[in-house]
Amino acid sequence: MKNEFLNQINTYLPSVDYCSFRFVNKYTNIISVTRNVLEPIEIVEDEGLMVTVIHDGGFGYGATSDLTKEGILKATQEAKKWAEFSKNHLIHQPIPPINIIDNGQYFTCEKDGWAKESSKDKVDYLMEINKSLKSKSSISNWGASFRYNKIETLFTDTNGSNFRQKISYILPQLIACAEHKKQIQTRTYGGHAHARQIGYNFLKESDLINHASVIANDAIELSMAPNCPNKQLDTVIAPDQMILQIHESIGHPLELDRILGDERNYAGSSFVSLDMFGKYQYGSEKLNISFNPEEDSELATYNFDDDGIAADKKYLIKNGKLERPIGSYYSAQRANQEYVACSRATSWNRPPIDRMGNINMEPGETSFTEMINSVEDGILLETNNSWSIDDYRNKFQFGCEKGTVIKNGELKEVVKNPNYRGVTTEFWHNLDMVGDRASFSILGTANCGKGEPNQTIFVGHATPPCLFKNIDIFGGE
Amino acid sequence: MKDYFHSISQELFKNIKSNELLIVNFDAEDSCFVRLNKGKIRQAGSVKQISMTLSLSNKDKKNLKSYVRLNGSFDRDIYTLIKTLNYLRRELPDLPKDPYMMFSRSINSTEISEEQNTIDDKEILSYIMSSAVELDLVGIYSSGYIYTGLANSLGQTNWHSNYSFSFDYSIYNKNNNAIKLNYSSKEWNNDEYDLILEKGIEKLAILSVPQKTIDTGEYTVYLEPSALNEIIDMMSWGGFSYKSNKIGTSPLHLLNKKEKSLHRYVSIDENIKDGISANFNSDGFIKPDVINMISEGKFADTLVSPRSSLEYSVKHNASSMSEYPCSVDMRAGDIKNDQILNTVNNGIYISNLWYLNFSDRNNGRMTGLTRFGCFMIENGTLTAPINTMRFDDSVYSMLGNNLIGLTSKRELLIDSGTYEERSTSSARLPGAIINNFKMTL
Repeated sequence: MKNEFLNQINTYLPSVDYCSFRFVNKYTNIISVTRNVLEPIEIVEDEGLMVTVIHDGGFGYGATSDLTKEGILKATQEAKKWAEFSKNHLIHQPIPPINIIDNGQYFTCEKDGWAKESSKDKVDYLMEINKSLKSKSSISNWGASFRYNKIETLFTDTNGSNFRQKISYILPQLIACAEHKKQIQTRTYGGHAHARQIGYNFLKESDLINHASVIANDAIELSMAPNCPNKQLDTVIAPDQMILQIHESIGHPLELDRILGDERNYAGSSFVSLDMFGKYQYGSEKLNISFNPEEDSELATYNFDDDGIAADKKYLIKNGKLERPIGSYYSAQRANQEYVACSRATSWNRPPIDRMGNINMEPGETSFTEMINSVEDGILLETNNSWSIDDYRNKFQFGCEKGTVIKNGELKEVVKNPNYRGVTTEFWHNLDMVGDRASFSILGTANCGKGEPNQTIFVGHATPPCLFKNIDIFGGE
Repeated sequence: MKDYFHSISQELFKNIKSNELLIVNFDAEDSCFVRLNKGKIRQAGSVKQISMTLSLSNKDKKNLKSYVRLNGSFDRDIYTLIKTLNYLRRELPDLPKDPYMMFSRSINSTEISEEQNTIDDKEILSYIMSSAVELDLVGIYSSGYIYTGLANSLGQTNWHSNYSFSFDYSIYNKNNNAIKLNYSSKEWNNDEYDLILEKGIEKLAILSVPQKTIDTGEYTVYLEPSALNEIIDMMSWGGFSYKSNKIGTSPLHLLNKKEKSLHRYVSIDENIKDGISANFNSDGFIKPDVINMISEGKFADTLVSPRSSLEYSVKHNASSMSEYPCSVDMRAGDIKNDQILNTVNNGIYISNLWYLNFSDRNNGRMTGLTRFGCFMIENGTLTAPINTMRFDDSVYSMLGNNLIGLTSKRELLIDSGTYEERSTSSARLPGAIINNFKMTL
């Protein structure tokens, strides 16, 4: 279809100021084995097109899964009709980019493709992992899954830009629950944080059978552990919780469409205002956050966003000071700000909006061991299992799967149900140490929800562990 | 669309061999989405999508399914579907048997089709924008047909199509305080829309007085139905699922094990009859009209999928594989709407809660925040808006000993969610007055 589409593009071009065609083909394969039984395998093949028209001060889109010539023409007509209707009613009249992308491309680097092993081989591997998860009788529930997603985008517009991107990512998930006196504790392999743009070899090289054994033992230990204490503690946050902290209390509040009010009815607004950029001290001087679409193998690494804007690395926060928002080309026009290439849509059937790409904590200079050794009375928190923050991104409360008490520079006993709460900028001002490059983990989340109509999208977060002073920690019932 | 579904599924069944069973699930929508900010259009467009999921099983109890996006063009779609069918057929022999595979083998064909609707989206949007000229209005208008179909090679056919619109929006004042509103139905009526908006504007006026900052601590609160819905929604994260209760990950597993109880005022059903979801599941089983999940504070029935029924040797009730309710119906109480403020007397009026999650799932404890239209109640009167507050409390406390009562009037809340496709979930709930509601940040 794609070549046919390109060859016939002139047939479809309407007489308008600007028009773009964004063709998306998505393939998803999820294989899950739960309690040693293969669940129904999910295979999804999705294909469709979004036509966007900007004309005479109006903007509209038409999206269709009907990729016949008639279907594409109908979608184009729909886009034109909405552009005509929205004329004089738009909150902002978009001006399309003038920079042209000539034959741009991006492909995820996969050493081994997903299809290198058969479904049967993958099921066998998951069965082995299940055996390792169910290592003890007190494990009450267990399971493992592999998810593979491939998203191919073909973009072309009336300015002459055209590019093709093929992003594929893999997400392994492992879970073990243990029961002790009717108290159930769950431990996972980083929740859903281990999603990467990487080949199938990643799954074979990740030693998942050993990880399965470790999390099963953790679940058993947690089920018998005391509740986390309620007190203020110096807190070391591991990368698989740091990604959530960055995501919720830096990524979302810096999204320019929130600041401009688009999300006030659904995903929420932000305490950040336009006048803060370039001067506001968001956190301590140790805090350095980048929008980095160039990090190798990270989930949202790409060359172009869905408005056809070339992507490169930019600092959002440098030495604690707010530099720029996560604002797309069109949002930046509205707000007179610098843009980053962050206009992204979940698929062909949703319009692009301002999104996190890879939002990363730049590494510092402290090793993980040095960080633990520096703590007299504290706690290490690992793996997010609960997240909640207000609609202006101030008051947050997050929960983790595992807490480990730190006393006089050493890791001690495990505690269950560790939670912490705080207010965003106070929290980031308490950032005291940032882990070094050796402790830096490339992680991400495949399910970030936002937008009206609603969209979920994959975003990357790479970060080392960090130490925060005086955090309000508490446990369960 | 119904004819297309019938013709394409029948053509597919001609290709099925005698030792095979094929189930097809069909989903389509023809939707308009218009996003507004500050009373003006932010994004406007249409989405037309059709998909079909093929689930092929054989006599060896092996099965494999594939979701395929369709064009709506018969020849092209049949070509794609037969290619997919052949792929499933090739893959099946290598897969292990599925011991929990269960499909409906009795023929239960049903059909619910709605008449052609003549609603004019652009006319409605013009009306909305003209009503919002002096308002800071933000939200989304969505409308159109949603089609759901099922057919199997044994001869069963089910069809459900309905038209609906949802205008989910908020109105803001210059202090950034807001009231959340929703108008969802099948037929647009300007008078009904005006009435909802006028009530919202009246509430917004109360938000214009200076905000009161409240401290952490325990308060008597009134939760509007939409706020209570957030708590019920959290309970639904595995709470009513047979499997989750069996393995202990349900937030209500202690209620299920009779270790804990809720207030006798609390009775909750899955009411398919009065909801807007299809009455059949993806395996072809017909759902009962009503399943009583909580009865007077005690756990009654769980939602049991056909897979769980085989895994645990219990009878299923045609629940979806997720065992998540889609038409929650909570019994009303006896507090009249004009008694709410006096019953609370001094406390907090909460229109909406937001971003809930568990702080101790095992014990049904959850956290979340106040959002939109939340007020101080002093001496039975709404006096001022409050700052955003975080609560952290257990369901056994909020809907247990601390539940003062439920309102006699209920609201039907149609889910305005549009992830992947427009939702058909709904909830009919009263409001709730709760004592000692714990605010923690």
